[in-house]
Amino acid sequence: MEVFAYQGLIGLSSAMYLWLVSAGLTIIFGVLGVLNFAHGSLFMLGAYLGYTLYGLVGVPFGLAVLGSMAVVALVGAGVERGLLRPLYGLDPSYQLLLTFGLVLFLDDLAKLVWGGVFRIPPIPGWLQGSVTLFGRPYPFYNLFLIAVGLSVGVGLWWLFDRTWWGRAVRATASDREMAAALGIRTPTVFSSVFMLGSALAALGGALSTPVRPVAPGIGAAMIVQAFIITVIGGLGNLRGAFAGSLLVGVLSSYGTLWFPEFELFFIFAIMAAVLLVRPQGLFAR
Amino acid sequence: MRTVWVVLVGVGLLFGASWSAAGPAACALGVPAIKLGVQGVASGPHADYGRQIEMGAQLAVEEINAAGGILGCRLEMRFMDDENRPAVGVRNARFLVTEWGAHFLYGTDSSGVAMALGPVLRELDRIQFFTHAATHRLTEELVAQQKIKQIVRVSAPVYQDAVAAWLFRDRRDIRRWATIGADYEYGYATWAIFREQMRRLRPDVEFVGAAWAPFLTTDFSPHIAAVMATNPDGIIATPWAGEAVTLLRQALLQGVFDRIKVWFQAMGGSVDVLEGISQEVREGRFQGKLYATARYIHNWPNTETNRSFVSRFAKRWNRMPNYSAETTYSAVYITKAAVEKARSLQTDRVIAALQGMRIETPAGLRVFRSEDHQFVYAVPAGKVVWDPRYPIAVLGELKVFDPKDYWRWPPFRPLELSK
Amino acid sequence: MNDLARRWAAAGLLLALVLLPAVASRYVTYLVIHILLLALNAVGFNLLFGQTGLLSFGQAGFYAVGAYTCARILLAWPSLLPGVLGGTAAAAVAALLLGSLSVRHTRIYFAMLTLAFGMMIFSLAWKWRAVTGGDDGLVGIPRAPLELFGLVVALPTVERYYYVVLVAAVLAVALMHRVVHSPLGLALRAVRDSEVRAEHVGLNVRRLRLVAFTVAGAYAGLAGSLLPPLENTVTPPIAHWTASAEPVLATLLGGIRHFAGPLVGAFVLVVAKDVIVRFTVHWSLVLGAVVVALVLGFRGGLAGALEALTLRGSRVRPVSAAAGEEAR
Repeated sequence: MEVFAYQGLIGLSSAMYLWLVSAGLTIIFGVLGVLNFAHGSLFMLGAYLGYTLYGLVGVPFGLAVLGSMAVVALVGAGVERGLLRPLYGLDPSYQLLLTFGLVLFLDDLAKLVWGGVFRIPPIPGWLQGSVTLFGRPYPFYNLFLIAVGLSVGVGLWWLFDRTWWGRAVRATASDREMAAALGIRTPTVFSSVFMLGSALAALGGALSTPVRPVAPGIGAAMIVQAFIITVIGGLGNLRGAFAGSLLVGVLSSYGTLWFPEFELFFIFAIMAAVLLVRPQGLFAR
Repeated sequence: MRTVWVVLVGVGLLFGASWSAAGPAACALGVPAIKLGVQGVASGPHADYGRQIEMGAQLAVEEINAAGGILGCRLEMRFMDDENRPAVGVRNARFLVTEWGAHFLYGTDSSGVAMALGPVLRELDRIQFFTHAATHRLTEELVAQQKIKQIVRVSAPVYQDAVAAWLFRDRRDIRRWATIGADYEYGYATWAIFREQMRRLRPDVEFVGAAWAPFLTTDFSPHIAAVMATNPDGIIATPWAGEAVTLLRQALLQGVFDRIKVWFQAMGGSVDVLEGISQEVREGRFQGKLYATARYIHNWPNTETNRSFVSRFAKRWNRMPNYSAETTYSAVYITKAAVEKARSLQTDRVIAALQGMRIETPAGLRVFRSEDHQFVYAVPAGKVVWDPRYPIAVLGELKVFDPKDYWRWPPFRPLELSK
Repeated sequence: MNDLARRWAAAGLLLALVLLPAVASRYVTYLVIHILLLALNAVGFNLLFGQTGLLSFGQAGFYAVGAYTCARILLAWPSLLPGVLGGTAAAAVAALLLGSLSVRHTRIYFAMLTLAFGMMIFSLAWKWRAVTGGDDGLVGIPRAPLELFGLVVALPTVERYYYVVLVAAVLAVALMHRVVHSPLGLALRAVRDSEVRAEHVGLNVRRLRLVAFTVAGAYAGLAGSLLPPLENTVTPPIAHWTASAEPVLATLLGGIRHFAGPLVGAFVLVVAKDVIVRFTVHWSLVLGAVVVALVLGFRGGLAGALEALTLRGSRVRPVSAAAGEEAR
């Protein structure tokens, strides 16, 4: 029983990275209708920038995370305005292809700029240590991750539900033309949404720096899981993305314990099944 | 129309690219230079091994050229990244031999790539001196059984990883063993051979848990948690290079070293791993419970050959030599000895010259084993410690065992690689 | 380009390909085999994308089914034809099954579904060690001799195997040419241009899509089956969705709207990668930039660019790439 609970807790903290990336991905799809293949690369960029600021330059951890979020948000803005905007209204296949080209470009760019060597910097002092849960030490950093994930969830809810901006975004998402007719500046909404999504991905990446290695492949690994989660949760459905992240994160953890052979197949099978049977997602209203 | 012209011109360019210019005058062996093709992983978390392979080869090439080459023939080398992928390794090998004209091949980190290269070497009829890939099947199956004579291994194979059984043979307090294994050939082979050895030495031991982490895992926490749930006394871990550093750091987070008695990191004696965990070793975070081996460690044996190699390497590259550097360096010198004895570059003559070879190398005396083309030599195992004489952590409290005891010897019985 | 010029061009290319091993180095021959395999894969993919309007990210799954099936057949029964035919058939069956599920959706959902199915095949290839060899794959696959009507042709050299691949590729591409220029091709294009109108005219849209999907899968499977005898090894990365991108990129580079597009693109992709890799490891950077540039500025691809430069008309006119009447 304790083994079960502890393994689940481990999965829960891993799920937070998935949540941060999937949240951004699903928001971008919900509002812009763009399925951003390059979202994993933004996670990777966030990790590299976090590592550079915190691990190499020595900026305090919190600032490094914020800094990386800001830079990646700007990158996102550039991508949206310069590369994606010309493709709105065309066959979405072109957006998919373009963002795929971006993945190739960004992943290799990271290799070029930062090279192959990577280290894991130490966990910042105020986040070290562990708590005994279910008879075993549970890293404090994992609890921190869960706290951040939950805060982001609450923050996003507040943002979309309670602010003027949120209402503008929701209006644009449900009826673009009507929103524009009402005076909402849709291009600005699009840019800001893309920036928000990018910043969330970067947050996930930067938070992974003290515990996971930073390497070019981490983006590609992340995007596949994020796709699965957004499909399971329902494209554009934020609550679904949260639930989906928990599901995938915890299942993967149990998979390592009990059915390592089939875990990957199983997760993709769920994705396919949801697409076939309930394409609006398991958690659609 | 123009589309097709483009294609035809392009094809023509390809033809042109394949014609090489005539070279300078030939040496005693009838070639302008002896070409050595070298492959290793040069990208991803295991990238340091390809670099070390390249550094080791290049140092040997420079030294030999400065001393007059092999029978007056200059050496030329070319390194390619095999990305740890069999498809890439095979393609590179073909390119190096058929396009670039390599006379001998070196390197290969991944057991999977090595197994794929075997039959291709036979087709190309070129010897590859394997300097890292550890699976026993490369030599036991492909050479001893299938008679692919073009395979020669200079580095200690997976038998070395199982030295853990010998290292902890007398620790009666360690009865429950578990593994966090690499989820591919190398990981399975190590766990299988370790258990085989352990059952012989300590029938009272139990194997309680196993978690398998595939290549490129960045989060080992579920694997660590799964294994710790079985309450092991000792853990043997095979993820290597950058993944080993990640694994050990994540294990520290889960307080593993408070609970187990011993952690054996198979390739933990590798320079990049020791560099990565130096800080933690210095701070005593592993509580003296971390042990490791490698395929060569720079601080053993204490011979003139080894000391001078290490100092020349450090001077040339500003780093300590990793085992893949030493094995590749030695492989080039082994080539020199064999070619000088055979007075030919032909595969069959060179292989004949290798028979019965006993050669002094930085790692010690290497002896050629004809049945499977494996060079036999001893590598110590020890505790990972901080020694102020070195800039990074090292292996200390070294114990050396006779390969006759813990290596597998012909005739080879097939080993069941179950998980 | 008029019809006669086209025939001359095709004949010239064929002649060059037939003469290749005699004049080029062994490595170049080996490289051209890879170009032919990618061309097969891409030409099949373009039936689905260029002709029918469905973007699939799962071609690698069928390629892998072909490759692994052929490999297992050859390991048990070292004869080339059963291996290649068996692999192609297995891939076609897999495509039929997965296609019947996939074609219920379009656009993004279709793309994601094919991605999911492709990755399911990948996860089987990667984890099912007993059958596929797991991460280490299958090795030691023989380049089995070709046994036909009592004749046994051994294939010890790359040059001999090249001719086998060439014959297979030429036949398959010729077949595809007939398909594209047949009433079936016309029907597929009608479905691509407007699903609603196609249905009103009486076309069974779903069945047509399934046909295209199955054929594309079969072509990928054929290309995959021809791989193991060449490399003697099959490993999981060939099933990964990033490998699915190869035929997509080749087609994009060469031009979606032209029959020769995937062929030109395959040539450019393989050669460019091979050449660039000799100078720098960062070929992905270049490729990614090219893809972005093409999507933004030049959706006709290279073949379209060259076509646009010439003043001659053509039988299959390039259609503007914008979706036109179909809203998002």
